[in-house]
Parts: sequence; C-alpha cells; structure tokens
Amino acid sequence: MIEIDQVHKQFVIAAPAKPFQRAPRKTIQAVRGISLHAPNGRITGLLGPNGAGKTTTLRMLGALFQPDHGTITVDGIAVAKEPRQALARMGLLGDAHGLYPRLTARENVVYFGRLQGMDSDTAHARAQELGRLLDMGSILDRRTDGFSQGERMKTALARALVHDPANIILDEPTNGLDVLATRALREALRFLRSPQGGSKCIVFSTHIMPEVQQLCEHVVIMAQGRSVAQGTVEELLELTGKSHFEDAFVQLAFDCGAAGDAQGEVA
Amino acid sequence: MNLSFMRSVGVVLVKEVIDALRDRRTLLRLLIPAVMMGPLLLMGISSLISSLEERADKREVMVVGMEHAPTLRNFLERQTYRVTAAPPDFESRLRASKLLEPVLVVGPHFERDLLAGEQPVVEIVTDSSNQRASAGMAGLQRLLMGFNQERAVLNLALRGVSTELLRPVAFEERNLASTQARATRITAMIPMFIIMAVLYGALTASLDSTAGERERGSLEPLLMNPVHHLALVIGKWFAVAVLGMAVALVSSLSFVPAQWFLKSDSLQAMFQFGAPEVLAFWLLQLPLAAGLGAVLMALAIRSKTFKEAQAGSGLVIALVSLAPMVSMLNPGGDAPWYLWVPGLSQNTLMMLVLKGEALTFAQVAPGVLVGAVLTAVCLFYVAHSMRAAVAR
Repeated sequence: MIEIDQVHKQFVIAAPAKPFQRAPRKTIQAVRGISLHAPNGRITGLLGPNGAGKTTTLRMLGALFQPDHGTITVDGIAVAKEPRQALARMGLLGDAHGLYPRLTARENVVYFGRLQGMDSDTAHARAQELGRLLDMGSILDRRTDGFSQGERMKTALARALVHDPANIILDEPTNGLDVLATRALREALRFLRSPQGGSKCIVFSTHIMPEVQQLCEHVVIMAQGRSVAQGTVEELLELTGKSHFEDAFVQLAFDCGAAGDAQGEVA
Repeated sequence: MNLSFMRSVGVVLVKEVIDALRDRRTLLRLLIPAVMMGPLLLMGISSLISSLEERADKREVMVVGMEHAPTLRNFLERQTYRVTAAPPDFESRLRASKLLEPVLVVGPHFERDLLAGEQPVVEIVTDSSNQRASAGMAGLQRLLMGFNQERAVLNLALRGVSTELLRPVAFEERNLASTQARATRITAMIPMFIIMAVLYGALTASLDSTAGERERGSLEPLLMNPVHHLALVIGKWFAVAVLGMAVALVSSLSFVPAQWFLKSDSLQAMFQFGAPEVLAFWLLQLPLAAGLGAVLMALAIRSKTFKEAQAGSGLVIALVSLAPMVSMLNPGGDAPWYLWVPGLSQNTLMMLVLKGEALTFAQVAPGVLVGAVLTAVCLFYVAHSMRAAVAR
C-alpha cells in the first residue's frame, strides 16, 4: 500500500548564462501537492502529460530525494525516515533502467536480488521464476548487450521484481515496446495484481490512454505538478460528461491544469 | 559496520570484478602495454649496453693514413689493438650513423713532425648525433693520451729527469656504489612502468563504475536498492583497487622473465629482480592503487558520460605517471617531501628496493597515510555525490 500525501518538490537549476557571468538561478516547482492512495490488489494509473511531475513523484517514492513538504509512506513506513526499509518493500522500474551490458540477463537480476539481501540460491531460483512469468526463456542467459527494447524492459522489470516486493512502481514501462511486448507486460501485471500473483499494489505511470483504460482500476490524473482528478475511468467520464476517455483527459489535465496554474501564479 | 553492510560490499565487489574481467578488449589493451613495454625497453637498453661492451672487447681502432705513422702503429699494436683502415666515405657514413665508431685521421707528415718535436695534429672524427660513435670517443682519446704519456716519459728519461715529476699527484679510483646501486642507473625506469600499470588498471574500472554507470542509466536503479550508499561505493572502490593491484602484479612479474633475456652479462649480474623485489614492489603500490582509485572515482562521478570522465582524469593520470620524472631529472637529490606525493613516493621507495636498501617505517608511512586519507575523503565524497548525480 502506498500513500502519498500533499507532496511538494521544487528544484533550483542554473539557467543558461552569458559568458563570464554567473548563471542566474531559476526555481522550478516540479510537484505542488500530489496526493495518492494506492491499496494492495489494485492497479493505480498515474496519467499525465509530459512534465506533469510523474517521474519526479516516483523518484521521491524511490528515496532518490526527499519532498520539500508532505509525506510518502509505503506499507506504513515513511520513505524519508527509513528509506532502506521502505525500498525493501518496493520494486521500482524507473525512467532510467539501464542494464549491465557485460552481464547476462540472469546475472543482472541476481545482482539486484543479492543487493536486496537474498542469498545466492534464492536469487537464482527467483530469476528463473521471473524468467518464466515474463517469458524470457531464451534471453535469460544472454548478455544484455544488443538486447531489443522489449528484452531490456523485461530484464529491467524482472530485476525490479526479484525480491517479490508487495508494492510495484512502474514509470512508463511500455515506452518503446511493440504490441506483443505490451500485451505480455499487461498480462504479467494483471497476474501480479490477482490473489494468485500476490495481490500486489501496483502504481503505473503513463501518458498513453488505451493502456490506462485497459489496465487501471483507479486513475489519478496529474497536470502541472498536482493531482487534478481521480477515480475509475467511468467516474472520470461521468465527471466530464464526455464519451471518449481522451476528451475527458484533455479537459481534466489541460483545462484544470491551466486554471490551477493561474491560481498558483496569483498565490 | 554491520554484517549486511559488509555483505553488500562483497556483492558489489564480485559483480564489478566480473564485469571488468568480461571486458576482454579493454583488458587486453591495458595488459599488453603494461606487461610488454617495460621488459621490451629493458631488453633494448641491455642490447645497447652489450654492444658497447662488445666494442670495448674488440680492441680495434679505425684509422685513415696509418701508413704515415709507424710509431703510433707500433704503440697501438703493443696495446694489443688491431688497426684497420677506415672506409674512404667514412664521414658521410658517420653522419648517417652507418659507421658506429670514431675514426682517427693521421696527416701525411706525422712521423717527420713527431721526430722533429713539432707536435703533429691527429683528428678524432665523430658525429655527436651518432651516439654510439661518440661513446667510443673516450676510449680513443685515452689511447692517444697513453701514447703522449709514453713519448713524454721516454723523452724525459733520455734527459735524465725522473718520470715521477710528471705525476706530482697519484690517484686511484674507489667506487662506493654497490653493484645494484650502479644498475639502478639503467633500471630507473622500471618503477615508472609499474606506477603506470596501476593507473591504467584502475582507470577503466573506476570510470566505468561511476560515470559509465550514469551514462548507461543503471545508477538510478542501483541506488534504489535498500543498501547503504557507502557500501556500494566501497564495493566499487575495492574492485577498482583490486584491478589496479592485479595489473601491477602482472607488470612487476613481467620483469622477472625479462631479466633472463638480458644480453649484457654485467647488467644481468647487477640487476637483481627476484621474488622479494616483486613482493616489495607490489605491496608498495597498495596505497597508490587505493588512493588513486578513489580520486578517479571522485572525479568521474561528476561526469555524465564515460568520455567526459576520461577527459577529466587525463590530468591526474599525466601528473602521477610523470611524477617519477622529478626524481629522474634530479638524481640523488631525493627530498623528504617526495615521500608525501602519490606516485613520486612509490617511485622513490621502489628505487630504494632496487638499490637493495632496506625500507624503514618512516619512509613507508607517509605514502600509506596519504593514500588512506585520499581514499577516505574521496569515498565519502562519491557516496554523497551519487544521489545528487541521479537527482539532476
């Protein structure tokens, strides 16, 4: 179970400077009040346009940096206070998911398993099991150098799931995948959500509508760094009075976002 | 430091070493120069020395116009030198380094002038850019001095003057250098090659495990494991140091077979490089491999790509590998501060080992201390910067 409560985050970046001048500092408010409740056994979709703050939010969830305000808890553990305990309960597939090209897919997975504190035998057994779940049979013992996008994604996903985490967080996992690979991933996620798969809590960020419609029971729409609406796909359609989910999304994300932004400017 | 911390260090260490060993092409590119360069140079120098020795043994003088100087010929032959006629185009051949010996040119009136006491002039022709011919010059000069001396002594003796008047002071040479110390003049470059081996062994691994990891996008997932970041850094650093030390060991060992092929017997007798020397050399590299590995990692973690990190590390590599030059340019003038400079300190200590001297604690401690401080500071810095590096 993942709870994100009124999280804010701003970055200070150096704007391009003229020669021999100090770069002027610019503050960017990446996330301004995101809240999210993702219970076990449910796939929660995080839907938003580019730059809505999805990746920033998920990286805070992964304890890469701390929020300025607000709290994030995973199964009741505060990420900011006990990052390692929280990370042990999460499987994160971030936006950067590079593999080690000179190791085989299996070795990549086992390495992370060992870092999660598993012993060698357990990690190997788990790699084998994930290889079956994600249909990686033939690539498991190949070096990841030269893998296709889909093969890379499967390996990275197996690596994130190696310690059988109760919470699974995926940042745009279908980027660059073909139809078959996307389908396979969808199947795998449905299985993990089901009671046989362990009733995992799955949080899934994307900007692709059909994926959300097909997979997510609960959708959180993000725009301009805040969560602007949430509910099931049907509820969101009802809320906006549209028949197309895409139209509903555009209205919620861009109209509300713009309004929210204007308020933010005034405040 | 608890058990799980140590375990994580071990897991990272094993993975990084396997990863580096799998990179066969880089490994070969790094091992071939490390293993071959030093011994090849050593063999080259030895063949130069042996050819010099050979010529000293040959006792041959190349002369133009010997027929005009029967007295000189007589003297040379009494010194058991063989006189040969120089080829007519000796000047151009000397210039082109085809003739490797100086040539003595005797004028047509030599004998007449000598007998009349008119100081005939002979020329010793060489080309100072022709190193081997120049090297033979001193011997030829000494031979002619001997001739002068003999003539003078004879002349004085004929007039009833004691020949000792010509030598108001008698002198003898006494060389205090041990055989090994003399050999260090030739073997001074060995430490430099071993320091370079450490550098190159550590370089790729340190850049790959920091900037390379960032470039591949594998650093972010790595940091999202429930492992203390310092444990990750120490594991990586350990692997870097292990690889640096492994290449250093191979490089030190490569000088052992190299000495069997030394052509010069005297050099072979002087150059002693056995198991104790290899071990001493290797242990002396520990602070260098540890400290430098950490410094390279600290430099590389700020870089976004492997290439950028490589450019950034260039200066450190150049400084450390050229540090031995300081003592080479200033032979015998080892200053106490040498022992505090990474690279230079190792070089100074290795030279002492080559000279066959025992190392004292006071000589070794500064290098170890500097290595340890560098390691600690840089590793904390890397652990701190890693998170900042992915957060950007």
